[in-house]
Amino acid sequence: MAAISIIDLVMQFDGFTAVDHVSLDVGEGEFVTLLGPSGCGKTTLLNLISGFLQPTSGRIEIGGKDVVGVPPEARDTAICFQSYALFPHLSVQENLIFGLRQKGTPRTQRNARLEEIVGQVDLGAHLDKLPNQLSGGQQQRVALGRALAVRPFVILFDEPLSNLDAKLREQVRIEIRKIQRDFGLTAIYVTHDQAEALAMSDRIFIMNNGRLEQSGAPEEIYYAPRTRFVADFVGSANILDAEITEELSQGRWHVVTPIGPLEIQSKSAPRAKSLPICWRPETAIAGKEGPNALTGTITHRAFQGHFTDLIVDLGGTSQRLQVLRNAEGEGDKVDFSIMPHDLIFLEPDG
Amino acid sequence: MTTTYVLNRGLMIMLLIICALWLIIPFTMAVLWSLVDPSQPWTPENLLPPAMSFYRWEFAWNNSLLQPALLNSYLLAPSAAALTLLLAMPTAFALGRYQFTGRELAKLLVLLPLVVPAFVTAIFFTSLLYQIGLAQYRFWAILFAHAILFLPFAIRILTVSFEQVRQDHIDAARDMGARPWARFRAAYWPALKPGVLASLLIVFIQSIEEFAIAYIVGQPGFVTIPTLLYSSLGQDFNRPNAAVLSLILAVPNVLLMLLLERFLKSANPALASGKG
Ligand SMILES: Nc1ncnc2c1ncn2[C@@H]1O[C@H](COP(=O)(O)OP(=O)(O)OP(=O)(O)O)[C@@H](O)[C@H]1O
Ligand SMILES: [Mg+2]
Repeated sequence: MAAISIIDLVMQFDGFTAVDHVSLDVGEGEFVTLLGPSGCGKTTLLNLISGFLQPTSGRIEIGGKDVVGVPPEARDTAICFQSYALFPHLSVQENLIFGLRQKGTPRTQRNARLEEIVGQVDLGAHLDKLPNQLSGGQQQRVALGRALAVRPFVILFDEPLSNLDAKLREQVRIEIRKIQRDFGLTAIYVTHDQAEALAMSDRIFIMNNGRLEQSGAPEEIYYAPRTRFVADFVGSANILDAEITEELSQGRWHVVTPIGPLEIQSKSAPRAKSLPICWRPETAIAGKEGPNALTGTITHRAFQGHFTDLIVDLGGTSQRLQVLRNAEGEGDKVDFSIMPHDLIFLEPDG
Repeated sequence: MTTTYVLNRGLMIMLLIICALWLIIPFTMAVLWSLVDPSQPWTPENLLPPAMSFYRWEFAWNNSLLQPALLNSYLLAPSAAALTLLLAMPTAFALGRYQFTGRELAKLLVLLPLVVPAFVTAIFFTSLLYQIGLAQYRFWAILFAHAILFLPFAIRILTVSFEQVRQDHIDAARDMGARPWARFRAAYWPALKPGVLASLLIVFIQSIEEFAIAYIVGQPGFVTIPTLLYSSLGQDFNRPNAAVLSLILAVPNVLLMLLLERFLKSANPALASGKG
């Protein structure tokens, strides 16, 4: 049984649809991410799950029970807020056990739980401090600890790392995942950072304009994006408008694109005669190999350490390549090839 | 460096001068005048009163209406402070927590009564009290009038306080299962506390000092400290007696003001939680 089931959920604010017929399931102990650009409805969906908003239509089930109409204080969810929302007048310890106090958990049990949580989030030295005496990373851990302390059935994260610097973010990312695994928690994690989503999730749900665009494991989202939006939003992608001219053999097609004729090998058949296709910059191979050998002019070159970014002008389009090593500079010609199985059919637009 | 230093010094000196003009000199004068012994008048050629005693204080305590006036004033003021707070809460909550069109205008309108001279308001407000028949219950009439008249201060202060309450604190409390009372204590009260205290103190001080309404409604027979003070300024004007009454009126107010200042200072730093 799914820990959370969302069935045909709609949320409208005076005529504006913020969540548009969303359906999804989250399994018990699963860590899923809601990924999408600003304003796509991620926080709204989270607020619907936690009970701060009531949906216009549709159903939400937590642990098999319909929770529509149940207020947040009666739902077995806990949020880790983006702003942390720590109570400024309460010590770290009081913040951590706030939820247990509300539930009337007996003192001995409360202390045992506190000890366990403090160990998990590593705050032992700061229990008597006030939140404003802590660093951003420490405050973040108090927020996490406060949510964990109530042992929620589902833990919800709303961009919890956006106030931390890049290095700390990576570290806390790993900590959150570890704690989530240790506790076997079901977690829904909201972010607009695709790298974070790819690195952390068991499964990613991509949202755009209130709708679910695609869901799947990170690898699936990355290597088999279904739409132009997903291809563009997750990682970087070269997207081309293609016209299918011929099916060469089983699973092989010939297409015409602005950068020239190409051969595509795909498990799924194209959905229309003209549609967008895409390929990832790092799949480019230096030199002329296979049926899709191309030559372009480098317009921009940026050395990134472990690879080099090239922007190449090809038939009036800009294509992005990531190559391990290259000797050519800006203005030079460069040969490269795309393997037919690295080209991906996207869904027709509109 | 040096220019800011000179500027700072200049400002410090100005502050001292203002303090002296406004506080130290009048208070010293009042204290000295209240100590003048009736045996020898204090004439301009003497720097200090020639004979000093607590005679005026004892006299005022035993032979004037000071005792009922103190009782009335110190019953009225806290009652008015509490009643004003109660009346201001719902409006302040609405102004501070809800977004609606015309909100800024409403906040401004709330302050408008304060620009009308107090005496003008008093004259017409008391006529209202007579019309609704409340004026015969003098204490209640004055209490009601004070509570209504000082409402703008309380509403304005508490509106700001309610604006300080952070929605994410309320949400976090609810999310952790807090019921309304626990939610109030965790999310609202820390942000409201300084405003509530400030509002109580300001209305208290305003009520203690209010003359016009207390005079019009209270006449004759119901005295407060200000009406007693003003009546001592009348025919039998006696500066030493007036000095005693002024001190009785002003000293507690100054102390309360200092208290208020401390509350407002001590309440703030804890409110700002690091992020967000
Ligand atoms: N209470 C509300 N009233 C009206 N519109 C709202 C309300 N809450 C959200 N919206 C609108 O719904 C849309 C989705 O908002 P939401 O906060 O869910 O976005 P988000 O995906 O969380 O964005 P971000 O990444 O910036 O946090 C936005 O266009 C927003 O303006
Ligand atoms: Mg959001």
